[in-house]
Amino acid sequence: YRGAGGGGGSNDFQWCFSQVKGAIDEDVAEADIISTVEFNYSGDLLATGDKGGRVVIFQREQENKSRPHSRGEYNVYSTFQSHEPEFDYLKSLEIEEKINKIRWLPQQNAAHFLLSTNDKTIKLWKISERDKRAEGYNLKDEDGRLRDPFRITALRVPILKPMDLMVEASPRRIFANAHTYHINSISVNSDHETYLSADDLRINLWHLEITDRSFNIVDIKPANMEELTEVITAAEFHPHHCNVFVYSSSKGTIRLCDMRSSALCDRHSKFFEEPEDPSSRSFFSEIISSISDVKFSHSGRYMMTRDYLSVKVWDLNMENRPIETYQVHEYLRSKLCSLYENDCIFDKFECCWNGSDSAIMTGSYNNFFRMFDRNTRRDITLEASRESSKPRAILKPRKVCTGGKRKKDEISVDSLDFNKKILHTAWHPVENIIAVAATNNLYIFQDKIN
Amino acid sequence: MEFKLEAHRIVSISLGKIYSARGQRGGLKLHKNLLVSLVLRSARQVYLSEPGCPPEPPHAACGPPEEEPPPCTTVWAAGEPPPPPQDEAARGGPRLPGADCEGPRSRRCCCGCSCCCAAGGGEANPADCATAGAAAPPPPHCPRKRSAGERGQAGSPVKKPRREVEDPPPPPPGEQEDMDTGNVASLISIFGSSFSGLLSKEPKGRRRAPLDGSETAPAEAAAEPGQICCDEPVLRTLNPWSTAIVAF
Repeated sequence: YRGAGGGGGSNDFQWCFSQVKGAIDEDVAEADIISTVEFNYSGDLLATGDKGGRVVIFQREQENKSRPHSRGEYNVYSTFQSHEPEFDYLKSLEIEEKINKIRWLPQQNAAHFLLSTNDKTIKLWKISERDKRAEGYNLKDEDGRLRDPFRITALRVPILKPMDLMVEASPRRIFANAHTYHINSISVNSDHETYLSADDLRINLWHLEITDRSFNIVDIKPANMEELTEVITAAEFHPHHCNVFVYSSSKGTIRLCDMRSSALCDRHSKFFEEPEDPSSRSFFSEIISSISDVKFSHSGRYMMTRDYLSVKVWDLNMENRPIETYQVHEYLRSKLCSLYENDCIFDKFECCWNGSDSAIMTGSYNNFFRMFDRNTRRDITLEASRESSKPRAILKPRKVCTGGKRKKDEISVDSLDFNKKILHTAWHPVENIIAVAATNNLYIFQDKIN
Repeated sequence: MEFKLEAHRIVSISLGKIYSARGQRGGLKLHKNLLVSLVLRSARQVYLSEPGCPPEPPHAACGPPEEEPPPCTTVWAAGEPPPPPQDEAARGGPRLPGADCEGPRSRRCCCGCSCCCAAGGGEANPADCATAGAAAPPPPHCPRKRSAGERGQAGSPVKKPRREVEDPPPPPPGEQEDMDTGNVASLISIFGSSFSGLLSKEPKGRRRAPLDGSETAPAEAAAEPGQICCDEPVLRTLNPWSTAIVAF
């Protein structure tokens, strides 16, 4: 089989449509808009969260020799309501049920665990299978009705009988009341015992078993809120070093912190910032430099940040500039004022690595998403659309015409649909399978089978 | 001149965003509003520094004096009645502090000012504000091993804003660049008057907009007629971030 993470990267092979989940309706209910996508550690499970507070988990089917082409399709495994809208009576404001992030825990037994969070509350969910049921109770009959004890003349031992597989999701822990501001990130530590949650101004450290207290490890709230100039936008634990985490800011900086150095990590160990290019200064320079996502590479040697127009790869050993910068949609730079007006400039795009860290992926507008091969430096733009959704259809590369004569098959910048945005994408941890969330639809693409 | 027009437009758009953010589901989005306020500040600076600015109004009408005392968050305890806004506007009065209010607010503000509560449609009252300010939900036991006094170090976010404030860009001649303090009342009165004044292009002689609003701004009947100015003196004295924070 082609090795881990996709061999030569994103461009040595072609991407094919595999599946699409979600309603085809043009009229999209806001609650159905997907707000987070995440594979688990093995890639067998794929979780999505939506604005309505629901979580849907897909499971990859075992490869079936009689249907070689199905090659492990993802089918619904479990659906549950994770968060409900709440009302904070004290502050008179509503707490949205939208799932901001889902993070899986590494699997330790037959059950699966994940953390899901909305703006204020994190929940630990246990997803377990039940395929047996006990029958032959003494005190109740098969319908569950209590039997008349006087009619019981003999005792029997209940026996386990197979039943149709049932997948149950139950909330095991609820971590609440620790965040005054909106939670934007959660990250499970490599120690598998703790995790962090970050809001605009603070980062808290939790133990998975303890819900009534959390330890505040970063606090950037100024004594006087009028002096506030930056907020925390994302945070993540290092994949291997359980004492290290990073957090990004709205000013385009990343701070790496070491929890061994002090209990409170307001002092950073490393500070990553690229000097601003003065020639590109505009009213919106500050907004577009705000980092919307930060992700460590699987190796732990690098991290990637996403700002409005670009993706940057940083070497953890070099703080003064990124080692690679990839332009996602530079043609938008001249449109920033319009994008500010229609609020698109505030869209928070995520980014992800492939399993071998040789390629990175991020979303754009018009249901386009971009992949960059770090080795060959080639990039490709693909589209998640119903039109190219025939089984195993190869995705055709797309191109945006930035000026001059528009070639056939190119699309001009002004024709881009800014309501169709791909903010959330995920890459299978090992194979070349990607999940792309396009509003209320989840597209799954795989590399071509030779 | 082109930049001035664009800057003016951006100021209007930004204020519109701050205004509409108040009713948003889920509460104030701190990140977005911070970014909007930064844009607002940049645009305002360009607008005021571009040639074609009307002559400086007298300082008394403009901003608070330079020797204004440092932020008085501690002075303004929740529960104190707010001063009447009109008087303050005339004097460039005391700052309404950002009052250390925990959390996003949609309709209430913790600064105890009835004016901005009223601007939200007249449903709040000082008592509400006082309660809101006084009672943040108690956080769970979050052990912190140091006091709020020991703060930051070089490079930490807290220090940075101070440096920025101390070294502002050179102000246009005669302008007192006072980023730290601002005249909130005029911004609040703008909100209260449904933006009709701000979006108008009429000359600055016009000091009051019709209460019913002749523009197509949202029809928030202002309990506070206030002074409606889209003009230089107001824009000079706006401290966008403080006012945005305070307004919430």
